[in-house]
Amino acid sequence: MNMKVAALTLVCCLPVVASAQSGRQVKTINLPAGVTVQYGTMSRAGTLVATIDCDNVVRVWSTRSGELLQRLADGGHPPTDVEFSPDGRYLVVAYQLVPNEKGVLRIFDVDSWKMEHEFVVPDVFALAISPDNRRLALSGRVTQAWDVENSRMLADISPPFGGSTSLSFSGDGSWVATADGDGHVRVFDAATGKPRSTGTEFVLEPLAVAFSRDNKSVIAGGVDKTLSIIDPETGKVLRTLTKQPGLIISLDVSADKKQVAVIYGSADYFDKVGHLMLWDLDTGAVLADFRKPGITIVGGAFVGDHYLFAAASDNQLGVWSLR
Amino acid sequence: MLARREVLQKCFALGSIIIASDFSADSMLFALQEGEKPLPKPTPTNPLGPFYKRLTPVNNILRAPGDPGLPLTLSGQVVDTRGDIVPDATIEIWQTNHHGLYDIDGYRYRGKQTVDSTGAYSFESVIPGHYPDKTRVCQHVHYLVMAPGHKPLVTQLYFATDPAFEGDPRRNYARDPLLQTPELIRPVVLTGEPNELHAKVRFELYLERL
Repeated sequence: MNMKVAALTLVCCLPVVASAQSGRQVKTINLPAGVTVQYGTMSRAGTLVATIDCDNVVRVWSTRSGELLQRLADGGHPPTDVEFSPDGRYLVVAYQLVPNEKGVLRIFDVDSWKMEHEFVVPDVFALAISPDNRRLALSGRVTQAWDVENSRMLADISPPFGGSTSLSFSGDGSWVATADGDGHVRVFDAATGKPRSTGTEFVLEPLAVAFSRDNKSVIAGGVDKTLSIIDPETGKVLRTLTKQPGLIISLDVSADKKQVAVIYGSADYFDKVGHLMLWDLDTGAVLADFRKPGITIVGGAFVGDHYLFAAASDNQLGVWSLR
Repeated sequence: MLARREVLQKCFALGSIIIASDFSADSMLFALQEGEKPLPKPTPTNPLGPFYKRLTPVNNILRAPGDPGLPLTLSGQVVDTRGDIVPDATIEIWQTNHHGLYDIDGYRYRGKQTVDSTGAYSFESVIPGHYPDKTRVCQHVHYLVMAPGHKPLVTQLYFATDPAFEGDPRRNYARDPLLQTPELIRPVVLTGEPNELHAKVRFELYLERL
């Protein structure tokens, strides 16, 4: 089983200090009996949430109506990642065919649910889609950039060891940033695989990376519990935001590039997820700090003046709004 | 917390203290029939993270006096898949302490050494604990092995004595979602007096040439 899914499979919903601030639940989705969510992601418009569930099924839900829109399964092959394209037109699902060796990527049109592309790839731990939908980056045993239309690998951008945990395309799709297990954040030309700089060294592993929407900075964080803002041209850390008690699991930058939403794990492990903070990137101030016991935050999106996110509990998927 | 004696009793009860060969009976018989020494396969890989820490100091004594937990000697040899010794390999290991926690702020239970001229290595540590509240993650030690001219090896060593395997690692290895093969589960040999027990585990590392 893929580590990303395996990690969330092991989620321990121990109570943490509850201090929900300005967060409210706007929709409750009841999951089928016996089904729990292992991983999830939300479309950038906040209208859809896709989950990888314990029965090896990907389910897509409407965040507005709570309706189950689609159910995607592949004969028992475990899904290992699922992501929406940045424009929300497509859903990309990765399935594991042979552990640590082979997987398959399927790209679905979210209106018709027609499969637009399918290609066999190395195993997939994480993936990202370029804003123009022309390129994909994936990581597992190796890290690669792919051309979608021609189902062709463009470049191998694997780190020397340890794989990549998170990937992010620049706004124009020409660069891809990787958070690598060997303790580096790197930026590559997505077409050629040429590194943009020598990369940024961290002592502890970066787990999440995202380009700002204007491509002028890369934001990264991980086991060091600190958000770092990096110059993608030089790899230099421009500044850091205040260290928090929890590991940084994932992050999401707003379209106006002024805010970043950060999902934190516990202090010791990366899989006790019940803590979300909104940061002002200009001032470094904390705008909101949401903590809720017994839930696992699976993904979200900046929608208007608030951050909409999905959170799983035992048999429910909640949609929450934070501002 | 279990006393050492209780741990030992549980291990014996589960039949999980095992002395086993690296090779199956079939492969040994085949080798005898063919008159050839079987060439080793590369050591299976296992995920690196997320608690790898760069700049680990050179140190093979990870256990400090008075540390809780069963003392452990990890040893082995680094060879390539042609059976040749790799004399210039560097091995980094990291693990949780007896209570199942990694040291993120410092370098406790993290060490690095270069193998000797015979490819041999050894570390002094303790049997790592289970992650708190996570019975499905088995006790393990992370390995990163690097040598010029060889592919880096990222893997993990697991213990046949782990209660999760219920004395039968070959049958029950998949109880840990990250374990795809029982090959990474190694037998544990206990030595010493009952009140001064010491665990020894050998883990041979087989690197692929570039």
